[in-house]
Amino acid sequence: MPDGKESEKPLASDFGMTAEDLAKEFKEHSVAEFFKKNRQMLGLTGKIKTLCVIVHELVTNSLDACEEAKILPEIEIKVSELGEEYYEIYVRDNGPGLTQDTVGKALGQLLAGTKFHRLIQQRGQQGIGASGITLLSLVTTGKTVQVISGTGKGKAFKCDLTIDPKKNEPKVMNLEEIDKAFKGLAIKAKFKDVKYQKSDQSPLEYLRRTAIANPHAKISFTEPDGTTTIFERSSKDIPKRPIPIQPHPKGVTVDELATMAKYTKSRKVSSFLKEEFDRMGDKAIEEIAKAVDFDLNTDPKKLSWEQAEEIVKQFKKIQFIAPRLDALIPIGEDRIKKSIRSIVEPEFLEVVERKPAVYKGGFPFCVEVGIAFGGNAGKLAGKDEEGKDVWKSEIMRFANRTPLLFDAGGCALTQAVQSIDWKRYAIKDFENSPLTIFLHILSVHIPYTGAGKQAVSNEEEIMEELRLALMDAGRKIYRFIGHQRKEAEKEAKKKMYYKYASEVAVAIAELTGKSKKEIEEKLHAMVLKHLKLEEKKEKEEAEKLNNLTEEEIEKEYEKRKAKEKKEAEKAKPKKKKIIEVENGE
Amino acid sequence: MGERDKEVKQKLENVGKELLKQIEKGENPTYELPVRTLNNVFFDKKTGTIKLGDKKSERQFLNIAHSKKFMQTMLVASEIRKVIDQNATVSIRDLYYALKHTIEGTNENTFEEQSESDPCIEDIEASLDLLREELHLAASAKGIIAGDVQLKDGKDNIDLAKMGSGGWSVPSNVEPDKIEFKNVNADYLLFIEKDAVWRRFNEDQYWKKHNCIILTGRGQPGRGERRLAQRLVKEYKMPIYVLTDADPWGMYIYSVIKQGSISLSYSEEKLATPSAQFIGLTTKDVETYKIPKEVTIKLNNLDVKRLKEMEAYEWFQKKEWKEEFKNMKEKAYKLELEALSKKGIRFITEKYVPDKIKNKEFLP
Repeated sequence: MPDGKESEKPLASDFGMTAEDLAKEFKEHSVAEFFKKNRQMLGLTGKIKTLCVIVHELVTNSLDACEEAKILPEIEIKVSELGEEYYEIYVRDNGPGLTQDTVGKALGQLLAGTKFHRLIQQRGQQGIGASGITLLSLVTTGKTVQVISGTGKGKAFKCDLTIDPKKNEPKVMNLEEIDKAFKGLAIKAKFKDVKYQKSDQSPLEYLRRTAIANPHAKISFTEPDGTTTIFERSSKDIPKRPIPIQPHPKGVTVDELATMAKYTKSRKVSSFLKEEFDRMGDKAIEEIAKAVDFDLNTDPKKLSWEQAEEIVKQFKKIQFIAPRLDALIPIGEDRIKKSIRSIVEPEFLEVVERKPAVYKGGFPFCVEVGIAFGGNAGKLAGKDEEGKDVWKSEIMRFANRTPLLFDAGGCALTQAVQSIDWKRYAIKDFENSPLTIFLHILSVHIPYTGAGKQAVSNEEEIMEELRLALMDAGRKIYRFIGHQRKEAEKEAKKKMYYKYASEVAVAIAELTGKSKKEIEEKLHAMVLKHLKLEEKKEKEEAEKLNNLTEEEIEKEYEKRKAKEKKEAEKAKPKKKKIIEVENGE
Repeated sequence: MGERDKEVKQKLENVGKELLKQIEKGENPTYELPVRTLNNVFFDKKTGTIKLGDKKSERQFLNIAHSKKFMQTMLVASEIRKVIDQNATVSIRDLYYALKHTIEGTNENTFEEQSESDPCIEDIEASLDLLREELHLAASAKGIIAGDVQLKDGKDNIDLAKMGSGGWSVPSNVEPDKIEFKNVNADYLLFIEKDAVWRRFNEDQYWKKHNCIILTGRGQPGRGERRLAQRLVKEYKMPIYVLTDADPWGMYIYSVIKQGSISLSYSEEKLATPSAQFIGLTTKDVETYKIPKEVTIKLNNLDVKRLKEMEAYEWFQKKEWKEEFKNMKEKAYKLELEALSKKGIRFITEKYVPDKIKNKEFLP
């Protein structure tokens, strides 16, 4: 994968750069140049990934706009191939649209709506924003972006739009009102040096997962070869808007504190701290005042880096109440279930939503986990010798409702799945099972590992929550597979009895002179009755199984392991082939 | 069809009737059989033979572990009835092949190996208290006999003294209605474990020189050889000596000849010869006859395990045998009959066996 290494490159903020620095740099150099130089910093590495990022930015924009306007989103995406590594991307939504006044700023000015230091669970945490897409189109093709927008009331308009890279200002051209009651926003843009490929990391897979994490959205996607896939909505609830919260003292860096101090309206450091941080009481301020060697009555705009450092040091020492948790809006167990059922169509599904928790003492987060088994769960990997479908497991990662397609190996979500001993939950071979694991982390601040923002870093608390959720879902799937196994056993038993019944009937008919058919029919009836009785007994046992604790499952697992080992040893000389198949790749 | 055949046929048909009754009542078809394992076998000191106890087991159609065996037993019972109806005698291998077929609509065979049909035959014999011969079944013949004995086999007159180097092949059915002794001139019967050793005795005309009968079952003897030995010993009141390797397997052959086997315990009264005595080899012979150590063989794990099992058998609870087992364990070696050739190829026929018989050096 071409993206893996590149995206490990550091963020601007890793160099101690602040938003201000970035803005300054935009002024001093041309924006285009900055862009060209720092593409990898913005996650635009690799031709396949870049195309995905473009789709992501535009779709996220649409989803956010609809959500804000309380509209059930209907988004249409079309990717067309114009030449070699040259594509046109068209995205249309049914959102509130933009006005002639706002269209320029929204799509033609970088960092227009800066999202720095806003602690809110939001989709747009990664990436470059819609204006970044306008710029990317310009620097790769020299072409403008075509926009059609309408509010549904009154006339719609169309325009060509681009960005003046030197001034970081929008340029709107050919603005024209059109006589259509169009409602929503449609954007058409061209890009070079990108590539569409059918793979696990294609826009199609990205949109499929987007649809899963946004069950209220209807998404239709047309690939360059003309194939259209529609992901229907499975829920009519528009997600509540998450509320922005003030940063918690435990989760703030020196850089952030220093930057916040520069922009605050407070006149004293003490009031700045009290007003702009969550859970900051008078007692804490007193403690800080005693510990630092400067006066907290000074103007926060004059706060030096060293002084900011001292404050952050004190933040680490002082006990604060945990951050407020109501800022997180999970998708919700029911909605995830509906959405996975409609898109993945599994045979069995279990979703576990954990209560919000806190990592690094300062950032609230929450995880939602789903395990889908059987049906169309997992990835179809081809056919075996007998022509049966072969399924492999797949892991779907999401951060704040946005799918993460890249850097899977370095991501805490993947690692949490790998850390589970799936055999414990009756999944013998995780890799080669029809499984889709859905993992969603939502937070006001997702701790990404790198600039690509495609992998969540391995925070202890996050790992723990993910593991607990997976184990909980695992226990439920264990019960289901246990039941499924019993059903298969029952069917096998019936087959076996029927098979022998025909022979027994022949023998008894010959010994007694009675009709073979009659004897066989009676034996069949007897078999069915017998199996029903057995089933009844098993049901009683299954009820016991439902009340199993982790410890009992553990015991059961050990027992089964011992039994399987014994059987494997017994079968070794004769059934060598079967064992090989089981162990083989 | 003879009277006995009619009775046997009736018994088999009754099995079917009984099961049909159960099926019609909606009961799980169940066939009751005596347990034929060590824990339902006892040594009857009075008769000196192994006998079957009265523990019963049930073979059920609606039981995963039994179902296939149940089906197989029924097939065997129905096939045997057919054989009797046709007044034929078939080998147990014939029976296996006659019944082996792929079950319709599956890829499973009714029987995979003869070792699956043979126990079903034994089950029917044991549960209906019938002899294999009465079921018109014959085990493959493999034993050979020679001696001054004249008999009638059906319509043919046979002289066991004129069988040349090959000897006479013992048929599987040696019941009086098949084999009729005309003249038996022998002081004792020598039962030899191995074919090759039997040939040495025959070539050396041992039976002529010592006025005896030599018989081998070529390994574990079949029913024919054992029944023939029993008849000769019983009807002509002659002693019987058994000659085997000095290892747990040879000694067990002696034990089967003398008191019977566990799996055929239900008919041992008709097969065992409790008067049998053990000539050898014993591990003690190694010292007595100064047999060089290099021809002994080290006991392997399986030997040791088998030895342990045999020590526990009730019928081996005799002082002499305990000593022999102890000696074998201590010395940790075994000895084959052919090892005596180290002392000269005729050592066994000219020295070892004659000496032992003369000195009455037997194990009980």
